[in-house]
Amino acid sequence: MVLEATMICIDNSEWMRNGDYAPSRFQAQADAVNLICGAKTQSNPENTVGVMTMAGKGVRVLVTPTSDLGKILACMHGLEVGAEANLSAAIQVAQLALKHRQNKRQQQRIIAFIGSPVKYDKKVLETIGKKLKKNNVSLDIVDFGETDDEKPEKLEALVAAVNSSDSSHIVHVPPGENALSDVLISTPIFTGEEGGSGFAASAAAAAATGAAGFEFDVDPNVDPELALALRLSMEEERARQEAIAKKAAEESSGAENKDHASSSNTDSVMAEAEPASNATADDKKDQPKDDDDAHLLQQALAMSMEEGSSGAAAVADAAMAEAAVDDQDLALALQMSVQDASMSSQSDMSKVFEDRSFVTSILNSLPGVDPNDPSVKDLLASLHGQGEQEKKEDQDKPEDEKK
Amino acid sequence: MAAAAPAAAPAAAAAPAPTVPAPQVPRGQVDLVDFVDWSGVECLNQDSSHTVVNALKQGYRDDEGLYLASDSDEQLLIYIPFMQVVKLHSALFKGPEEEGPKTIKLFSNKEHMGFSNVSDYPPSDSLNLSSNHLVENKLVQLKYVKFQNVRSLTIFVDNNQSGSDVSKIQKIALYGTTVDTTNMKDLKKIEEH
Repeated sequence: MVLEATMICIDNSEWMRNGDYAPSRFQAQADAVNLICGAKTQSNPENTVGVMTMAGKGVRVLVTPTSDLGKILACMHGLEVGAEANLSAAIQVAQLALKHRQNKRQQQRIIAFIGSPVKYDKKVLETIGKKLKKNNVSLDIVDFGETDDEKPEKLEALVAAVNSSDSSHIVHVPPGENALSDVLISTPIFTGEEGGSGFAASAAAAAATGAAGFEFDVDPNVDPELALALRLSMEEERARQEAIAKKAAEESSGAENKDHASSSNTDSVMAEAEPASNATADDKKDQPKDDDDAHLLQQALAMSMEEGSSGAAAVADAAMAEAAVDDQDLALALQMSVQDASMSSQSDMSKVFEDRSFVTSILNSLPGVDPNDPSVKDLLASLHGQGEQEKKEDQDKPEDEKK
Repeated sequence: MAAAAPAAAPAAAAAPAPTVPAPQVPRGQVDLVDFVDWSGVECLNQDSSHTVVNALKQGYRDDEGLYLASDSDEQLLIYIPFMQVVKLHSALFKGPEEEGPKTIKLFSNKEHMGFSNVSDYPPSDSLNLSSNHLVENKLVQLKYVKFQNVRSLTIFVDNNQSGSDVSKIQKIALYGTTVDTTNMKDLKKIEEH
């Protein structure tokens, strides 16, 4: 949050036509400039930024330091690339522009993009640097583009001469896949001393695709509600996945024994709707059935209900109603094997389950069960298939019996 | 008007010869360190480990080990705003014989000067210190008439005694009176010390 006036020196010399930074060196530079302007004005609203060229038509100030971002972006349009960059003149002009800033309380900073070769000696650069330090001006250098054998050392010497208490920085950006602006975001040029890091971090998350350590690419500082919502839905999804995995495991182990399968089905359905099953059990006990057969049936149903059913009281009632109709068949089935009790009752259930829309509506009323949940759908499908199988068997058996 | 007699009165300097005589506050004047607006004090080209505070602040400036040093070259530009309007009478500079300041230019009421415009305006006063001044606590008289209405003072140290790359100043003291709240009774009390 340092109050600063910044002059950005753009290198628009012939060397900027090169395409080793996508799309061209000059474009990459322009993007970086835009980002920096945004960062500076965001970190402190009273900050001002100015832009000037080092080459092209000559050393010219395009925009005097202003906090109006629009002006700065507009002046970058229609810039010509050509000629050679004049670094020392540019720095002098930048110093002058900063000296005449409106708010004298602002710290002075120059950010220079140097993409063309540096023709000055180290000594000359060091004197330039000393002069800047004397006038309390900080200097940041972005060294990109042309790489002489000596360019990095020269620029390092320049920054060392200017640097007082770590306020000046230099960044070397080699050509490569990463955009110039992306590389710059993580540097102290962007992040400032400490204060600017909040913006820089969120800018990193927003601008760079490989987001810097934020979950779901959303900065909790910028958008806490969104971040929270994303996190919650992630957890819910995880829970659902685990439930599905559990069911799958159970179903696969239960496939060997149909009884077990049916019971496991009921179990898994129970997993979805446990609380309701207790209610249905209670309901069931309330139902008056005096017939022995009905009583047996009732017991069987009760057993299966307690093991687990889809659990809705309505379903139980419907099953009961149907059970009354198919009493005899059911009784026979019961006699066949006690183990099949749950199965037969399951057949009732299966009939109910056949009516998918009915089931869906039931499930809708259940707490904690989402009928659109793929796991529930799978379950219903499997129940449906199983139910049909069991039904066939039941029908076969009673028919055999009848015969 | 408190037409004060110069401070380096031998009669008042009662200390024996070997030790440096204590600076005598000129008659009718006050040490203006109390009226300095510390939030606005700035110094260009100072060494960050030897700042202007060492030379100005009460306590720091009397410590022999703490001094103000220049950084890139031997020039220094010190800006001192005051909390109210003052009149400057005299000044005291203390520093090492070799690296102490030699040529000093004073500018009154010029804000935010830079090294580039020190030669743009004529100084309100220009001092040429000798090593005597630096070592013996000799007060330097200023052109009183030029410093009648001082809101801020800019001190430009052009070079030092030996011409070395670093200028060092141990103490800067300014004496004068305040314009608004001059209380003659208070002046008398100070004089007695």
